[in-house]
Amino acid sequence: MELSRSLVEIRNLRIGFYSHQGCVQAVDGVSLVVPSGGSVGLVGESGCGKTLTALAIAKLIPQVRDLHIEGQILFEGRSVFDMSESELSLVRGGKIAYVFQEAGAALNPTMRIGRQIAEAIAAHRRGSNTDSEVHNLLRQVGIPDPSRISRCYPHELSGGMQQRVMIAMAVASRPKLLVADEPTTALDVTIQAQILELIKAIQRSTGMALLLITHNLGLVADSTDLLAVMYAGRILEWGLTEELLTAPAHPYTAALLKAAPQLSSTAWRAEQCLESIRGVVPSPAQLPVGCKFAPRCCRARPLCHEAEPDLSGLGGPLSSGSTPVEEQPDKRITLSDRRRVRCWHPLSETDG
Amino acid sequence: MTMTIIETENLCIRYNGSGKSPGIRALDGVSITVRQGESTGLVGESGCGKTTLANAVLRMLPPTSGAVRFEGRDVWRLSGAELLRFRRRVQMVFQDPTGALNPRLSVGASLEEVLRVHGLASCATVRQRVTELLAAVGLEPVYATRYPHELSGGQRQRVGIARALAVEPALLICDEPVSALDVSVQIQILNLLKSIRRQAGLAYLFIAHDLAVVRYMCERVLVMYRGRVVEEAPTEDLFQHPAHPYTVALLSAVPDVERGLKARHGDSGRIVLRGDMPSPVEDIPGCPFHTRCWQTTEICCHTAPPAVTVADGHISVCHFAKHHLR
Repeated sequence: MELSRSLVEIRNLRIGFYSHQGCVQAVDGVSLVVPSGGSVGLVGESGCGKTLTALAIAKLIPQVRDLHIEGQILFEGRSVFDMSESELSLVRGGKIAYVFQEAGAALNPTMRIGRQIAEAIAAHRRGSNTDSEVHNLLRQVGIPDPSRISRCYPHELSGGMQQRVMIAMAVASRPKLLVADEPTTALDVTIQAQILELIKAIQRSTGMALLLITHNLGLVADSTDLLAVMYAGRILEWGLTEELLTAPAHPYTAALLKAAPQLSSTAWRAEQCLESIRGVVPSPAQLPVGCKFAPRCCRARPLCHEAEPDLSGLGGPLSSGSTPVEEQPDKRITLSDRRRVRCWHPLSETDG
Repeated sequence: MTMTIIETENLCIRYNGSGKSPGIRALDGVSITVRQGESTGLVGESGCGKTTLANAVLRMLPPTSGAVRFEGRDVWRLSGAELLRFRRRVQMVFQDPTGALNPRLSVGASLEEVLRVHGLASCATVRQRVTELLAAVGLEPVYATRYPHELSGGQRQRVGIARALAVEPALLICDEPVSALDVSVQIQILNLLKSIRRQAGLAYLFIAHDLAVVRYMCERVLVMYRGRVVEEAPTEDLFQHPAHPYTVALLSAVPDVERGLKARHGDSGRIVLRGDMPSPVEDIPGCPFHTRCWQTTEICCHTAPPAVTVADGHISVCHFAKHHLR
């Protein structure tokens, strides 16, 4: 699969800080791309670093003591970490919009909805009749009675409505990228379905790219083209969503697929006994030596506990620090659709 | 005939409004039966009343009308020794393992407290009993000295379960016991709950929004919507032959890897409901689901639907209930 341009390119991102437990490397060598207009999923369990990675794209990492960031993030070809504050303020909200899990917490409780949306519009677009713009936006996100809703306060709306309002504010500036961090986790399933359909519809009509961060594999299955599986601050597997989910190469991906509650799977029946992944996710301050998943992996061999594998193509290991992006001689960025996996003994087609 | 532990009869719980506000019908005529050793799932979305029902069964919320009975006796008529017995026999495991544990007590102290209050162990035997309880939930004896903040989410949940088991209950109400846990830990806790049930012959009232989890854990499922039970059936029958439109919509909305991948090449077949659940304050005439149902007709808007038996033990509250709805 060849894509003309990557909108976002993360190269070897490292984010570390000091906590009372010592030096914590929360993100350790993450590389990925979001193609223009594409949809990328970032999955992982708690503490894997997916939210920090997503925040880093717009340089939104909280300024804690002794924070150190390494690596490069390119947005539309320009380095985010080298941008000035004024350049960043144009990008944030203007070109890159965020939607988080708790929409209610992100809305100003003392301001009516209409005014908040108008603020979002005015921040990035000039010279528009904001009242009808506000109503148009609300309609665009599927809110049927925009004039009434505009006059409501956030607490008067349900969770699903609040999330729609957040999405309206996020897309007000027609951003190139929407970063959605667990946008539907706090919502009921029937509302989840609506919200995801809404995001996809907006993508179809505006060509917006999507970075969807979630722990739910079912959501990425039909909403994303590319998928990164993260664990303990690094990417363990990367590739086309469809390929990863039908034939995972990393034991962790395979284990996640088996552990995720799936209605269509016959394993989730009362008379069955599911196999769990033994152990727990390691604390970022106390990561094991070698492969970070090895202590829990049923395929682990001695090498796995001694040395950490690089993220490499399925055909064999490449040079260290390899990214999923290759620069062609004519300077075109080509997204390699080769799968990348960080494992000494990846699963193959013949594995059960 | 297996003994009935808990029975609710036409249970209504209404929070009265003040002044102009009409109040909320949290439960609107719910009749359920939980028998010894049975695992019953309760599913529904926010506002459907499943947690209110759990609290009513636990005798924490008085009914506005209707009754909650424990072993045939109205729980609000129990007192003294009988009430203490009820408190032992019906226990709860909560969703948030952190909030459920006293942060200032060690795990051992929390468990000892429970045993002492119910007179279940003497000073001589209490330590031994704590060790046994920890073992029953897969924790080593050393965990007795740990404090909640030193444990992972999964471990805290195990302690919560141990505490509920300490009093030797007959019914365990599990309110979203794994939704706050990572996927990789969820199965460990679910398997633990399953094995405990097998060994102790416990009954479960299992509340979960995740339908696959309910399918894995329960023999029977009740689907709730706006304070009423709209469908109830043996688990596999419900999932394979849902007989109520809301159940059908709920099942199709669940994110699913296999279905999601298929959807990339064509229609997902997912039913996307119109609108949100109406405000709980609003009085919906007829069928409570008619404002969002794609099969709504005239009769649905003004006549409350009857409870129709579509198959053995399978009831659907719908004017158009039939066993093969899709």
